[in-house]
Amino acid sequence: MAALIKKALINPVLRNNGIHRLQFVRLAAYWNKDWKPGPYPKTDAERIAAAKKYGLLPQDYEPYPDDGLGYGDYPKLPIVSADMKDSLYNWDYPEMKRDFGEPMNTQYDVFTEERLSNARTRFSAKFTLASFLGVLGGFLTLHLLCEYNDWYLRHPWTPPQYPNQGKTHYTFEPVD
Amino acid sequence: MGSVSAKALEVESDYKHDPLEGFPNGRKPREIKTTLEEMESAKIPLDKRDYCVDYLMKFLECRNEKYPWVYKCHHEKHEYLHCQYEDYLIRMKDYERNRRLDERAAKSGQH
Repeated sequence: MAALIKKALINPVLRNNGIHRLQFVRLAAYWNKDWKPGPYPKTDAERIAAAKKYGLLPQDYEPYPDDGLGYGDYPKLPIVSADMKDSLYNWDYPEMKRDFGEPMNTQYDVFTEERLSNARTRFSAKFTLASFLGVLGGFLTLHLLCEYNDWYLRHPWTPPQYPNQGKTHYTFEPVD
Repeated sequence: MGSVSAKALEVESDYKHDPLEGFPNGRKPREIKTTLEEMESAKIPLDKRDYCVDYLMKFLECRNEKYPWVYKCHHEKHEYLHCQYEDYLIRMKDYERNRRLDERAAKSGQH
């Protein structure tokens, strides 16, 4: 803490990826400039070199479409969540179910074993939503059919009549 | 819907028009047999001290005796709720009578 304050006082502007700004927070993750992907491959030779760099066959290599804000030459790998991978195979990194040098999906941290899974489901999402809405719709229908049949008991009426307040109230029966 | 909450009424009486007008045989006044001391002793809430407190007191007495088998008081409960229904009918008819007399007065006032 004291070192941070000292740093901030003496070195008020720290260089941070070329952007000059004050930094009071450091991330726990580690990043290395050597890990930055190369530019989007334009020629065939560049494609083959990029495929080799990532450990893929050239026919398997498919970069993300180049829209200027993309991942450069990083490959677009099929999404395979960790729970779809073999549990009994002898992975090099069993927690991630990954071998050494295996290229990782861009969104791999979403598809870890305790997070999202892309296994196929027994029923499609549309079917599940339809059955949910159908059941609730059935409840709603029954409610509407059954709960609003006392309209004949909802005539306007006078305010409540209390006895022994100095006022007399009458019924509609004749005096015997 | 229907339920009329506090309307501005005269202080002396709850009826804007003469309540006995048009009844050749008169109207029976509403009465209760429960005294104020009994109601206070039973700690009946103020909004329940209407013309059905007799049946309410009987129902509560039955509940007290038969607790925890309060389902055995269904007869007393039915009597109380029937009294409330009759009260609803009386108040509904009074409102309608008031409305028609107002209409008649407005019409005769016009002509």
